[in-house]
Amino acid sequence: MARVRTTRNPLVVAAVVLTVAAAGAAGWGGWSRYDAAHDDAAAYAEARDDALAAGEQAVQNMNTLDHAHLEKGLDSWEASTTGDLHRQLVDGREAFVKQIETAKTVSTAKVLSGAVTELDDRAGKAGVMVALRVTVSAPEGEPAVKENRMLGQLTRTSEGWKLSALGQAPVGNTAG
Amino acid sequence: MRRTGATTLADVPDDPETREPDADTEEAGAARRGPRPRILAAVLAVALLAGGITLFVQGQRLRDTPATSNHALTDTAATAQVTGDVSSALSKVFSYGPGTTAATKETAKQVLAGKALQQYAALYGQVEKQAADQKLTLTTQVVRAGVTRLGTGSAHLLVFLDQVYEREGKAATTAAAQLSVTARPSGGRWVVVEITSR
Repeated sequence: MARVRTTRNPLVVAAVVLTVAAAGAAGWGGWSRYDAAHDDAAAYAEARDDALAAGEQAVQNMNTLDHAHLEKGLDSWEASTTGDLHRQLVDGREAFVKQIETAKTVSTAKVLSGAVTELDDRAGKAGVMVALRVTVSAPEGEPAVKENRMLGQLTRTSEGWKLSALGQAPVGNTAG
Repeated sequence: MRRTGATTLADVPDDPETREPDADTEEAGAARRGPRPRILAAVLAVALLAGGITLFVQGQRLRDTPATSNHALTDTAATAQVTGDVSSALSKVFSYGPGTTAATKETAKQVLAGKALQQYAALYGQVEKQAADQKLTLTTQVVRAGVTRLGTGSAHLLVFLDQVYEREGKAATTAAAQLSVTARPSGGRWVVVEITSR
């Protein structure tokens, strides 16, 4: 029996060691996984990228409008915005529809580059800057192409980030 | 097959009375008690190990996403530094007057590098001539600068600039410029290596 034990023990010991090591690996892996899921910096980085993607899309939407599909375009404007900007759009919609139906313009926009300039993850506020090229075609004449620079404020809603303010970056304000 | 010396490997029991006397018919013994707990233990160990590795890999994947490798805004100090260095570089190299082109050229060698410096040098002959002939003064100011992507070895920025042109005897005009800029760290600060007009 004694001999039996000695021939068995190393294996049992090895098995126990291996099992403990495996349990340790599982525990460590689990902790690492949990820690990663609750990593504030990762969540903040994620929020920054979400805000930028939503901001660029919203700015593009707000610079896109086809007089032939006016309702669809304006719905997209309203879906891209929240707060005061949203209210302004809803209030001014009728007048704007008349204006565009008269002008018969088609505007398309392409985002050239964008960046998040500020992000308050907790308050759900972000600032974005977007460079874009807007092409406006009227029934007569050549399409007008213009490079625009926009500054937007984003607010996080239950449906994601939406524009709460949008304007051209002013020219000449900083000149001394 | 059965040996009384019992110096065999592992778990072959040497006493046929106390142990299952079936070293030569291992299947039977395995089914009854010998290897079964061992198999369970082995499966458990492998499962734990595999689980641990899977969780760890998942954790790494969560941590090392394209979002987390971009330190724009997440590293506030580095973001502020690169924004400051690039803004300062652009306003310096795009600001000159009839008497200051030489100084601007010297500054450019310090704050620009690579392709940006080459492009700048290629244009500079024209700039010097213009500044002297037309008594042109250009003043560039950064309206807004944002970091698109910030890694350890390079940064990409979007910069909105105002450029004020003043010719002697004429009213100043202001032009808007939008630049995409690539910067690299060099000697404790960021130098501009590429400039693309937007």
